[in-house]
Formats: sequence, structure tokens, C-alpha cells
Amino acid sequence: MTDAGTAFAVDVTDARKRFGAIQALDGITLRVPRGQVYGLLGPNGSGKTTLIRTILGLVDGVEGEVTLLGTRMPDREVLARIGYMTQAAALYGDLTAEENVRFFARIHGGGDVDAALRFVELEDRRSAVVATLSGGMRTRLSLACALVHQPEVLLLDEPTVGVDPQLRVQLWNGFRAMAAGGTTIIISSHVMDEAERCDRLGLIRAGRLLAEGSAADLLALAGADRLENAFLTLAEGSS
Amino acid sequence: MSWRRTLAITARLLAQFRHDHRTLAILFAAPLVILGIFALLLGGGGDLPGVGVVNADAGPLGSAIVRQLEASEFVDARIVDTTKAEEQLTSGELAAYVVLPTDLTASVMHGAALDPEIHLRGTEPSASAATLRSVQQAMVAAASELAALGGLTVPELAPVVSYRYGGADLDSLDLLGGPFVGLLVFFIVYLVTSVSFLRERSLGTLERLMASPLRRTEIVVGYSLGFSVVALLQAAEILLFSLWILDLYNAGNVLLIFLVEALLVLGAVNLGIFLSTFARSEFQAVQFIPVVISPQILLSGVIVPVSAEPSWLQVVSNVMPLTYAVDALRAIMLEGANLASDVILRDVAVLAGFTVLMVVAAAATLRRRVA
Repeated sequence: MTDAGTAFAVDVTDARKRFGAIQALDGITLRVPRGQVYGLLGPNGSGKTTLIRTILGLVDGVEGEVTLLGTRMPDREVLARIGYMTQAAALYGDLTAEENVRFFARIHGGGDVDAALRFVELEDRRSAVVATLSGGMRTRLSLACALVHQPEVLLLDEPTVGVDPQLRVQLWNGFRAMAAGGTTIIISSHVMDEAERCDRLGLIRAGRLLAEGSAADLLALAGADRLENAFLTLAEGSS
Repeated sequence: MSWRRTLAITARLLAQFRHDHRTLAILFAAPLVILGIFALLLGGGGDLPGVGVVNADAGPLGSAIVRQLEASEFVDARIVDTTKAEEQLTSGELAAYVVLPTDLTASVMHGAALDPEIHLRGTEPSASAATLRSVQQAMVAAASELAALGGLTVPELAPVVSYRYGGADLDSLDLLGGPFVGLLVFFIVYLVTSVSFLRERSLGTLERLMASPLRRTEIVVGYSLGFSVVALLQAAEILLFSLWILDLYNAGNVLLIFLVEALLVLGAVNLGIFLSTFARSEFQAVQFIPVVISPQILLSGVIVPVSAEPSWLQVVSNVMPLTYAVDALRAIMLEGANLASDVILRDVAVLAGFTVLMVVAAAATLRRRVA
């Protein structure tokens, strides 16, 4: 099956996964059209990371169906067109910034290292060893590693945790620019004020999708003035 | 100094131990296992070194020596002919053989020294020592026995000792050095590989690799090649240092020694990757050393020959890859064995098989505990 005719970049149907006593995914169905910025919102432990890893085909024994760019997951080849930024900046501390980006480009079949470093504004630190970079720089470098191969879908697991407000604005400008270029972005967060920058939001709690829609939709649905309150109202309504 | 604060540290440490069952097991079980193996190795109970006796003596002294040797508790003496003795000395079945010539009794009666030929294999210092001691004791006892009956004065002892491999000037370093080179390479490569692969897991970069088109075998083989380049350079360095600077005795082909080391390196790299699956931290990877590495070293035949172990322990030794490396290194360096030897072919095949097994095992378990 080719993905030429598939409108959805990510298509998850009734995904279920249990880790021991914890139901990490409890029947999640989620469809993200191409070029959309989709925000996964939920508290810590709500299943956001498991969902992202499930989309990537990294979780064993998931019930339900996951399709990524029209390919039924798990599938290794389609991962060449996907970018993934893990929660912690997973980088090789003893390599330089440029060497890190180049490595991730190579394992994905190539990419524009200079463009990626420019995108995260680290061109002048390209020869610096990662261990000498600040926390914010590492986050940006981690992002550069995730997007160096110009992926069609970018999965970002809490990319702005521990990031200062200025950098957060910078990163979001970058995400929006990429989406404008046709990249589908799924971004998880528990910071509600970021949610407003997404095209569409999914509220997750205890492995279930409580509600979906734009920020305005969710506010209207909950009759709330702020997303935080909307989240609390919708969470209460579900339990 | 505040005892309250000091004891807080102590109490916390003990609490941590209580939660870390693996460390507790290693602290309290591993020393007993290792000491137990030591006791089994050094306590004897295995096969005694075989000593052949070619007795051509027309007089009674030869038979008396044979009787004494057969009663020895240090060697396993048996009567053989010269052809068989030669064969078995080469194959390793015999650690030595003694030739008692036709005129042994006669010449001693004429006042000559008691001078039988002792042919030592020379590859196993403990077996050589046991043989020499037993033969000396047997000669003294036999001569004294006959002297007591009269007609013979106790002669001077002057056995003529020759070595099949190496020579009298081989020291312990020559005998242990070759296998020790193998052990060192195996140990260091395992340590470096397992710890650095564990970092790949714990830093989350492995998760990124899994989310790329990389196949598991590509990761494992890529890792193996990378480490192997460095490890092979290390192996070459250790080997050249041993041969040139330490002047280790070597009767074999240096390239063949290197081939054995290379196979050992590849096995150790993949063992490191495989075992890192079962560790959650660098600390735990290091903890595998007393459990996985020490018994292998003890049982590999470096310290005590495998044949001298109790027979059930020999079975354990024979499933450990290091045993084959030690065997091969000894055969090459001391005996000058080459690829035409069945022993070397077997050892090389076992080491290659172990490497392949570890690559498969490492790739198969790679997915575990990625998150």
C-alpha cells in the first residue's frame, strides 16, 4: 500500500497497551492529517510517551492498529521519513554538535547538516563537544538531530521541558515554519500555554483520549476560559 | 562531627543495599562461588599427569622403579613401548616418559650413576615438576630397596632430562604468558564494550537508533566492528609487547596467535553487548565480572590444566569459550601448532561459533529495556 492517497500522516485505531498493573493506552484512536501541528496534552504518566513510542512502532504487544504515512507499523523503512526527539536530549556527549547531527543524518539515509544546525542556531557551536554545551543548546541540538533528514513527520516528546521562555518561542517559531512547509508535527506537553500554538489538541489522561479539537473547541466544550480549567473539567467529566 | 548526620549516611547506604538485591547477591554469593572453584581447582581430584615407563632393564632395578612409580600418588604411571610413548607425548596424553635401559641394573652394580632418560612434554609446569619429583623418589626408593637386600650400593642419581616443547629455560612467564594475553584482551574488551553499550541505553541514544531505519543486526555488527578495530589494535599491542619486550617464548606463527586473539575479541565485544541488556547501570555491568568473567578465567586452564580438574568441572570448563582460546594459544606458542592441527582447527571453530552466537544473542535482546 502506498501512502499517496492517504490524507492522514498518523492514524491510530483503538490502541491498547498494558504494563503490568498499568493500562498505559486504553483504546486510543487518533488521526493527524498531513501538515498539522497536533498537541498531545496530559499530566505526567498519562500515556503521552507510550503513545508516541507506539506510533513509532517501538512498543511491543500493542493491540489495535497504527499507520504511519500509510504504512502499517511496526515498519523500519518508513522510519527514514520520521523524526523523533526523545524527552531527554539524547546525544553523544563526547562528540561535537556537528558530529552528532551528521551521525543521525547518516542513519536516516542522509540530510542537510548545515541547514539543521542553522535552523536551531548552533552553527557557531558546531565544533563544540556536546558535554560543553548548555542545557538549552543541547535541547536545540537534539531537535537538529531529529529534523536533519527533513522528515515528513516529526514526533517531539516534551521538547520544551526545562527550556527558557525565549528559547521556547524560538522553537515554536521553528515548528510552525516546518508545518508551513508540509511537515506533520506531533508534540507532547503538559504546558497548557503551548497548546494554543497547535492546530489541534488531544487531551490524554490514564491512557484515554478525553477530548479532541482546537484550543477554542475545547474551551467551548468545557465552558472554560482557560485550557487548564478546560482540562480539569473534561478530566472530571470522564471519571 | 555530628553523629546524627554521619549515621544518616550510613542508614541510607544500608537502605540502598536492601533494595539492591543483585549487589547483595554478588557481595555474599560470588566470593563463595569463586573460592569454591579455587578449592576445586587446587584441591586436586582430577586426572594425574600421565607418565609412561619404557622398561628394558634386564636386572631387578627397572622393575623396582616401575613398582614405585605405579604406587606414586603424584603421577599416573603406565608401562609403554618407545613408539607409543613418543606418540602419546606428542598428543598430550602423557606428560612425560622415562626410559630404563637394558643395562640399568648392571651399570649401577658397577658403580655408575643411575641415569635414566626422562622425556618431558614441557608445556605444563606442574606436571613436569610432579614427574621429576616422582621419578627421583621412585629411583631412591627402588635403589634403597635393592641395597637393603645387599649387592648394591645406593648410586648417585643423574637422570638425563629432555624437553619435547620449549626447554628447561622456559619460566612461568613463558608458560602462562600466552594464555594470559588472551585473558587480558577478553577481560578489558568485555569491560569497555559492556559499559559503553550500556551508556547508549541509559543516555537514550539507543531509543533514537531504534526509531531510525537501522536494523538490530546493523547496530550490533556496527558496534562490533567499531570496537573490534580498537580492540584488535590493543590485542596487537599486547602481543607485540609480550613477544618483544617481555620476550615470551613463542614457537608458533604470530599471525595465528593474532587470529585466535581476534576471535576472542569479537566474542568479548558481543558478549559485552549481550550482557549489557541485563544491566540497568554501568555499576551492574561491572558486577557481571565476578559472575561471568572470573569463573571463566579460573576454569580456562590458565592456572590449573583443565585435565586436572574434577571431571564434572571439566564439563563446565569445556563449554566456556575462553578455555579454547587458552588451549589454542598454548598449543601455538609452546608447541608451535599450526592450522594443520586438529586441536587448533577445533579451537578456532569453537571461538568463531561463540562469536556468531553472541552476535545473534545481542541482536535478539537489543530491544529489551530500551525505554
